[in-house]
Amino acid sequence: MITKFQVAYKNLLRKRIRSLLTLIGIALSAWVLVSLLGFNHGYETALNKDIDNMGFQLMMMAKGCPYEAATMMLKGGTGLKYMKESVVNDVAKEPEVEKTTPILMAAVFDPNKGESGGVAGYFGIEPKSFSQMKTFLKFKQGGWFTDENAYEAVMGYEAAELEQREVGDKTLIPEKNIEFKVVGILERTGTQDDGTIFIPLRTAQKVFGRPDEITTLGIKVKKGVDSTRLENKLSKLPDVQIVSLAEVKQTIMKLISTAKVMVLSIAIIAILIAMVGVINTILMSVHERFQEIGILKTIGAMPWDIFKLIWIETLILCTIGGVLGVGLALILSRVTGMVIRYVLPYAPIGGLVLIDLKLVLITIAVVLCIGLLSGLYPAWKAGRIRPLEAIRSNIG
Amino acid sequence: MRVFRKNLIHFEFCNLQSAICIVVYLALLLVLTGYTTAWGAVGCDLNDPDRDVARLFPESTGYKTIYVSVVQKGGEPLLAKIETRLGDKFRGIYETIDVPYTIYEIFASKKKIGYIHGVNQKGQFGGIQVFLSLDLEGRIKAFYIQKMTSKYAGKLRDANFGKQFLDLTLKDFQLYDVVSGKASGKVDAIKNPAPEAEADFRAALRATKKNFILMDEFVYSTP
Repeated sequence: MITKFQVAYKNLLRKRIRSLLTLIGIALSAWVLVSLLGFNHGYETALNKDIDNMGFQLMMMAKGCPYEAATMMLKGGTGLKYMKESVVNDVAKEPEVEKTTPILMAAVFDPNKGESGGVAGYFGIEPKSFSQMKTFLKFKQGGWFTDENAYEAVMGYEAAELEQREVGDKTLIPEKNIEFKVVGILERTGTQDDGTIFIPLRTAQKVFGRPDEITTLGIKVKKGVDSTRLENKLSKLPDVQIVSLAEVKQTIMKLISTAKVMVLSIAIIAILIAMVGVINTILMSVHERFQEIGILKTIGAMPWDIFKLIWIETLILCTIGGVLGVGLALILSRVTGMVIRYVLPYAPIGGLVLIDLKLVLITIAVVLCIGLLSGLYPAWKAGRIRPLEAIRSNIG
Repeated sequence: MRVFRKNLIHFEFCNLQSAICIVVYLALLLVLTGYTTAWGAVGCDLNDPDRDVARLFPESTGYKTIYVSVVQKGGEPLLAKIETRLGDKFRGIYETIDVPYTIYEIFASKKKIGYIHGVNQKGQFGGIQVFLSLDLEGRIKAFYIQKMTSKYAGKLRDANFGKQFLDLTLKDFQLYDVVSGKASGKVDAIKNPAPEAEADFRAALRATKKNFILMDEFVYSTP
């Protein structure tokens, strides 16, 4: 016996072009919606990962523009000014502080990098305190420096790959023309550390002429401690500023919220247009089958049966359109991420558009709900058709 | 006839149900397998192709970029062939079968006039990126070291050093021994402007020979 589902899909197949165009409209709105939700989720996840991978919650640096300095650090840049290394002891004394790690960032101009030269950056670190902060750092080859004054380097994975370096090879600091021995190459982490060359802090201070100076102090706060209180206390130290990475994250998220609102508006408009398309398609279908519906009622179909018949057509359109839209978003997610990375002033490392199963199900559910709402009026109208009037009329 | 129609309807219904199921399962599969970042080996691209192509191929009006790798073009047998022609194995953790190579096809209007291709080579203190501009017969039109880490990089990146490579072909490099550095013919005539950087000079020559061989395998030998 033929079912309502069969009747519904056959009706859609009668006007293929119209059904296809409606499907495309639903698919495009689903694509926009899932891409937007994926971007919301992906950007925040990638940003959290970037910030968590710094290893510390607070950064202390010499006074200057804090957010410029912080975002330069997140992107692997250098600090702007220097502060005395003695500040490390002042900070370590605070009861709220669990660990600290001093860093001296330095950069040299390499005229033999590309056509117009480029900058080569180095981090002078204390490996013991640095590796305690960044516990995820693992070695692909070798290990940390053998001595705090050694002319040894540990390279991030991508830095080593670009320089074609392995443990035992030599590397050179341009401008200074000082040779270093590569003693370690890190595993890929997906953070800025991949492109960084690490040397011992004492050696960096000697090579770059910054005795007893550092650019940044990474501070890890004890669990359960109010970091804002510590921040306020440390701000009172002379000539330094404290940057909370949580605040940096909030500032960056605020910057992109404008973009999010704009895209959300576009998604809502796309959904509304798709809704109108669905209503139009189903209404036209009901209008064309006026007599047919009348005949169905005369042979025993109840208004609720007609209502269900029309509603199933809407369900089929929305399900297929929703799934197609999600599929399109998945296929184009990388391209969408590239476009976003090009447009935004700051984009964290990692995928910017993160589409998971939960998001897919939510999108399909939203599309289905909106579709079913759209189908209510045409289905109700079809259910109210009077059989005799329908049979007598010239419509359909 | 009624039975046939009933079976046809049943068949069509099952097909549509199957089609919907396939679409849904595909979507779920895509989600579950997800997109993982492809962490392949690093290739060698021009830093600014628009600027560099115009400089390395002055008569060009446009270019097209294509990506190839040994694993894609022929796998292990091709790698073995390249190593035999090079006279050396692919070394270390970065010179691998899956390295992506970027070939710039150069056009003057719609006519192809040549190629630009670069390779990474391990130098004494860092990576060396050697680019060759080649005409359709495989002759060097320009020689460019995009990056080099060395105290004497300035001398090896000087235009006068690069001029020594002009009009050389793969044939000139066939007898060059990349392991011992023994050269003959036109390659032997190439002067090292920085004798203190002999290792980097030989690395540049190895990179040139490797560049030629790869281009021959990827482009010139293909029908």
